[in-house]
Amino acid sequence: MKGMVFGEKVNYLEDGLGFLQALSENLGTEIEVVGAVVKSDDIDLSVLKGFTKLYVLNEGSTESYAKVLIDLYSRDKPDVIVGPQVKNGVEVMARVASELSIPMITEVYQLSKVNGDTLISRQIMGGRALALYQFKSPIVATIALKRFKPRLEGAQPVIEEINVPKVEMEVVEVQPKEKGAVDIEAAEIVVGVGRGFRSKEDLKLAFELAELLNGEVGCSRPIAADLQWLSEDRWIGISGKKIKGKLYLSIGISGAPQHIMAASDVKVIVAINKDKNAPIFTYADYGVVADLYQFVPVLIERLKAKLKK
Amino acid sequence: MDIGVLVKASLDVNMIRVDSEGRILLDAIPLAISEYDRNAITEAVRIRDETGGGKVVAFSVLTWGPASKRAKEIENVMREALALGADEAHAIVDDSIIPGDTISTAKVLAKLICKMGKFDLVLSGEASQDMMSSQLPVRLARELNYSVATFARKIELLDGKIRVTRDLEDYLQVVNISLPAVISVTGEINRPKLPTLLQIRRAFRKPYNSYTLSQLGVESIEIKLPYKEINLVTISRKNVILEGDKLEDIADQLIERLIEEGVIKV
Repeated sequence: MKGMVFGEKVNYLEDGLGFLQALSENLGTEIEVVGAVVKSDDIDLSVLKGFTKLYVLNEGSTESYAKVLIDLYSRDKPDVIVGPQVKNGVEVMARVASELSIPMITEVYQLSKVNGDTLISRQIMGGRALALYQFKSPIVATIALKRFKPRLEGAQPVIEEINVPKVEMEVVEVQPKEKGAVDIEAAEIVVGVGRGFRSKEDLKLAFELAELLNGEVGCSRPIAADLQWLSEDRWIGISGKKIKGKLYLSIGISGAPQHIMAASDVKVIVAINKDKNAPIFTYADYGVVADLYQFVPVLIERLKAKLKK
Repeated sequence: MDIGVLVKASLDVNMIRVDSEGRILLDAIPLAISEYDRNAITEAVRIRDETGGGKVVAFSVLTWGPASKRAKEIENVMREALALGADEAHAIVDDSIIPGDTISTAKVLAKLICKMGKFDLVLSGEASQDMMSSQLPVRLARELNYSVATFARKIELLDGKIRVTRDLEDYLQVVNISLPAVISVTGEINRPKLPTLLQIRRAFRKPYNSYTLSQLGVESIEIKLPYKEINLVTISRKNVILEGDKLEDIADQLIERLIEEGVIKV
């Protein structure tokens, strides 16, 4: 079997390779994998072992990347074409899938084998349910980040540079997003804040708690998108950041499905909310039904005593 | 400018129904308008009004059955689209493409849109609330032979072109594409208003039509990748509510538990 992985970044290629290796094990067939990555100043291709060939593309648009992949498809005839579950990855893969009239599975979450059938599942309905599909080639897929660990071994791949074609879509400008210099996706401990906070000023309670625990502060959608009290890189949600550390301590968050799903890989979830019927309690390991303005200061004080700070 | 807008009668993710054994009861989950579709309608209405004329036409395909039971529900969803400012609404209601897949849905939508006229622009939400595949706008663009851009946070009309600010994970990417185009929008592009009572009442006087595949001249359609099953995700959280007479006691219990779990160290 043949596989092709596309990604704008090296780590996206690793995720795709991990999936194809898992698929090959599941099916019990060898798989030969080629990769297509976008060239950047700090790119390090030496880590990418396990690919027979690497195509290195110069920077372009989603339309131009898709064109290259469609050309490569007719050359290499892969059975499975995968990309990363990021917005550009989804658009590029959907362009490839629609041009080739091949089915596509967005955000592949896990692989399983039931009665000899290889099943691919993805999360739907805000993470409340899994949809299962029977694997059948050819297929296009985007792979959830960091779900499939690759074995990066073997010889260095052959490298071929490709100039992306001129297309109609024209990239006019790239504006970096304002960053608070936090990476909550990499944080082991995250303190989440929601609508239960009455003002931006009051968030200092959460920041104090996070600092005490060596964690970062994250938030629900309204806090970043509607109220703009915190920058978007702190927004925990399907369209925001996904956290996967040891502890998520949510404060004053009711628990919309999109928020909860983005915290589903966290080891321990604690919820503090004054409404005992808030959905967040269903998704929490430990719940405290209390007014955050009364409870959080006490928690900070007791933690300080325990931590001798 | 005539603008099409895609609207999905999506499973209401806040109203999931299960049987006594925890199996999901898809047919019993009510349908609701998909969240980001409100943003798409609001944006279509803005562009229509700013370009001085034209109409906004809402399109949908019923993807959850049975059609006989769901026909009224999809009509209600389309009435909501009309109340939000669309001028007319058209939906395909036919058991033979339920549940379908993104390929079949895009194909029949393209048929419906072409039947209704020429559109300079077709807008959609960035993803449906239930299936969240984000593929449909791209597949529809291919069927219509339109250009496409996804995850738009801002749309500006230029002379003969359209400028789209795409909201990506780490940066905003501004692209120009040609018209006609299909564009998917994010929840940040605008803030949809709740329709007023008057708008809701007016929505019932606006045209809504439903079609079967044969009315669109489609004889049969292949479903290449239907889902095999949909299962509820079982949550294995401990769900322990910590209680005590004083907040100090509760705080101490919580700290103790977190130490036991090995997530904090003292």
